[in-house]
Amino acid sequence: MKKQFLKVAGGILLISALVSCREKVPDPEMYELGVIVRNAGNYLDNNGSISFFRREQSTAENDLFFTQNGRSLTGSVQGYTEAGSSSLILVDNSTAGQDKVEIVSRGNFQSLATIGTPDIENPRFALEVSATKAYVSCWGATGDFSNFFKNPGYVAVVDLKTNKVTKKIEVPKGAERMIRIGNEIYVGAIGGTENLTIIDGATDAVKRSVKVGISPDPIAIDANGKLWLQSDKSMVRFNTQSGTVEATLLVGTHPVKTPSKFAISPDGRSFYYVYSFYDSDDGFKQKGETYRFSIDDTSIKADKPVINRLFSGLGVDPLQGLIYGGVTPTFKQSGYVVRYRPDGSVVDSIRVDISPSELMFK
Amino acid sequence: MSIRQPYGWLVVFLSIWIVKTFAPLYAQGDSIALQPVTVVGFAPERFMAGLKVQRIDPATLQQFRFQNLSDLLAFNTPLAFKNYGPGQLNTVSFRGTSSSHTAVLWNGININQPNLGQTDFSTLPVAGFDRLSVQYGSSASMVGTDAVGGSLLLESGNIQPEGLRAQIGRQQSSFGNQQTQVGANYGKKFNENLRFSGKTLVYDGRMNNRYPESQRKGYFIEPSESAQRGLVQDLILQGKKERQLSAHFWLTGNEIILAPENLSSRELTRTQSSRSMIQYQTPSWTWRTAWVRDLIDFGRGDFKNLEHTSTDRYLTRLEKEMEWRLGRAGSPLDVRVGAEVAHYRTRVDGYVDPLITENRVDLFVMSRWQASPRWLLSATLRQAFVTRFDPPITPSLGTEYRLITRPDFILTAKGSVSRSYRVPTLNERYWLNLGNPYIRPESGFNKEVGLESKRQLSRLEQLTISLTAYHNRVDDWTYWNPERNYRVENLQLVVARGLEAMAKWHATHGAWQTGTSLGYSLTRTSQERLYDAYAADVVGKQLIYVPMHQGNLNAFAQRGTMRLTAQLRGVTRSYYTFDNSRYLPGFVLLNVLAEKTWQLDAWQLQAQAQVNNVFDALYLNVKRNAMPGRTISINLVLVYNSKSQ
Repeated sequence: MKKQFLKVAGGILLISALVSCREKVPDPEMYELGVIVRNAGNYLDNNGSISFFRREQSTAENDLFFTQNGRSLTGSVQGYTEAGSSSLILVDNSTAGQDKVEIVSRGNFQSLATIGTPDIENPRFALEVSATKAYVSCWGATGDFSNFFKNPGYVAVVDLKTNKVTKKIEVPKGAERMIRIGNEIYVGAIGGTENLTIIDGATDAVKRSVKVGISPDPIAIDANGKLWLQSDKSMVRFNTQSGTVEATLLVGTHPVKTPSKFAISPDGRSFYYVYSFYDSDDGFKQKGETYRFSIDDTSIKADKPVINRLFSGLGVDPLQGLIYGGVTPTFKQSGYVVRYRPDGSVVDSIRVDISPSELMFK
Repeated sequence: MSIRQPYGWLVVFLSIWIVKTFAPLYAQGDSIALQPVTVVGFAPERFMAGLKVQRIDPATLQQFRFQNLSDLLAFNTPLAFKNYGPGQLNTVSFRGTSSSHTAVLWNGININQPNLGQTDFSTLPVAGFDRLSVQYGSSASMVGTDAVGGSLLLESGNIQPEGLRAQIGRQQSSFGNQQTQVGANYGKKFNENLRFSGKTLVYDGRMNNRYPESQRKGYFIEPSESAQRGLVQDLILQGKKERQLSAHFWLTGNEIILAPENLSSRELTRTQSSRSMIQYQTPSWTWRTAWVRDLIDFGRGDFKNLEHTSTDRYLTRLEKEMEWRLGRAGSPLDVRVGAEVAHYRTRVDGYVDPLITENRVDLFVMSRWQASPRWLLSATLRQAFVTRFDPPITPSLGTEYRLITRPDFILTAKGSVSRSYRVPTLNERYWLNLGNPYIRPESGFNKEVGLESKRQLSRLEQLTISLTAYHNRVDDWTYWNPERNYRVENLQLVVARGLEAMAKWHATHGAWQTGTSLGYSLTRTSQERLYDAYAADVVGKQLIYVPMHQGNLNAFAQRGTMRLTAQLRGVTRSYYTFDNSRYLPGFVLLNVLAEKTWQLDAWQLQAQAQVNNVFDALYLNVKRNAMPGRTISINLVLVYNSKSQ
């Protein structure tokens, strides 16, 4: 009897010890297999955040960083990227000198490190170069509106073992989106710069730059291995083998509408995008729709919308093929992610945080 | 009144006012006596029957002399503030309304910055005026535009006694912050029929904000530097039959630089105001003429290209008061009629025209009838005329009835109904694209009831309690509509309702004087109109930056010239998203002050040690940056008084 009691007591002890151990170590898979939403936030409220939901759910967990770390991100969230076993959250505070990158453990958002200024100033995008290295593109310290890109932009090289910036690779004006092709990183530009900068991912040095058009911004690689970039109101198809522009296609013919929020389809054969403008005849209301074009199209007409509304963020889930649109009713209230079937019919909507601007599917 | 008062010159002439205002028996500090009150001050206060008016006592003004008006109001009233950081934009929400729904009057003229239609309270130091009343509820019919949630009445002092009182004051605070005030009050009696007095004060403050840390509990402390400089000049000439000619000037300048060490991205906001007025008063006539210039400059980087906003206002106002005795009882009916004409000239880079001018005329009649010793009635009516805008006619009715009148206990019931209006700001009407020249007037309707009791518990102990409930409905509330790229529209319907309770206890025990005041407010204010699909998430939700509950507690104990004060303020969370999904957490702040005065012949030294935010509480501003923690200040004021024994 006594033995049995000891066994039971020991068992209880063992289980409770295991349970308490498990509670101490958060589930590393907590935020895997689902959708990550980057909520840019309201710039002046410094309240960007990251939301997460599983595909089968219709409610989201908001502000993961705060939930896991008990402190806030203190800025608008410009980017979110997973690199190695970490995730990088790019935080842009409304005051100069308060920008930063929060590095968290991938999948559970436990804070690992914070990199602030002067290493990171006006961060734009982050890119995984290898399991131990990430790039963060920055505008650098900006000036006033008469000379906004006063200082050169740069790509900050982040060592993910030490979580420190080891080098800044200078580029003209500001660095924008980046794409890795093999060991080369294509860095987009802003402020009228016409060249794309190509960095060697092994040496972290600029290899060359190629003239593409006004402010080239890399979007994605298509099914044929071609790089697509946005340049002003056009899409550019770029052959990375030959290093030449294959085609420059003007998006639509509307006099004032501009294309934005490009998202590649899971098969890599088409792009979805928002085509919008502020209507001066209707109190400057933002109006627009969501369209699609095929990579084989010889012109982009923007005449038949896929979804008859505009979004602040757009993504296509490679797993289920649903189109996800971020809706920002105002920058002073929660946004929504609305899910659509490929034919444009609505599935459901999920309330997220302020200004859902980017969707990442895991 | 001897000059040997604990609070120097300020108290000297403020207590003269109190002596005139209240009974001589309890003339000290914040006492109140039960005799009928004749207010010497801004005329409309007398016509505000049914509305609550809180006069801030001179001791409080003295304690906050090195701080801004917002600091004083936060610890003494239920007003809520929307603060962007130390030395930065700080606007008010009075009874759940927006920052442009509080009229701020200086010697009777509205000094809200006309482009923004609001006051940045970080630019109004307490040292800039001598008297302060907080008037709760809509009083647009009495004071004009903007008085939707309430109004703040700032005034210069009255005629001074003979002699010279010169003073120099210095505050030294944590983080390398400092302020200096140098000034004098002077008076001369030429003969029985001619007296002259004046006040000159210069203030210069610097907030270097050298915080020891750059973050508090994960929130940034925004690096900033600010400076505040100003000159106050009052000149009063008093002739026979209470005729008085006075001139008042208040020049003030503020400069705030954010991220000062970041030379390419630092941000400068410079606010300058010059206010000047001449006033001529007789017992029945008042004539005022004023010129107010407001300048705002904003720039980044090297500050070479500054965005410039400049507005001039010239105004003149004539008022005439008449009194009749009605009926056999001879109950007095006072009627005050007046007209104000103002000319505005504004130059703003982003406006539809480089120079915009407009004229405004206000016609008003205010009446006050003491129907019986117990019953007071007032009715007012105002019509404003504005170039390219059509304000509504604005009436109000108020009454007060003394339910109990005993020597030791007075209980008064109050009630008021009033319409209110607000002339839209110049930004709202003249911004290129975003402004809306066709904007309609907001339509406000305020109702309130209250009870006020004054009780003399013993000869040395007094208790005042007031309780007020209000309901203020503002339709066609203007809204910078994000759906239309922040164009301004008459989109919303806002209903603000609330309760305010205040208690004040004052007692003398032997050599000790003690006092406590307690305030609590419940403010429930929400947008009620469904104007688009996503407004459903917003309807009925508490307006942003307005905490639901606020409370303050002030307690002091004084013996001789030594005084200890504790100031406590607590606010619950304030939402900063329309759907109340995000909020700034609530907080409790405690300040303590110890004061002591020494007197030697004509010289007086006042010393004040002050600890603000004793608990080192973390609280956030609008930009979600941390506000400073515990702050220690030492304030010294040296006074020379030629009339002192």
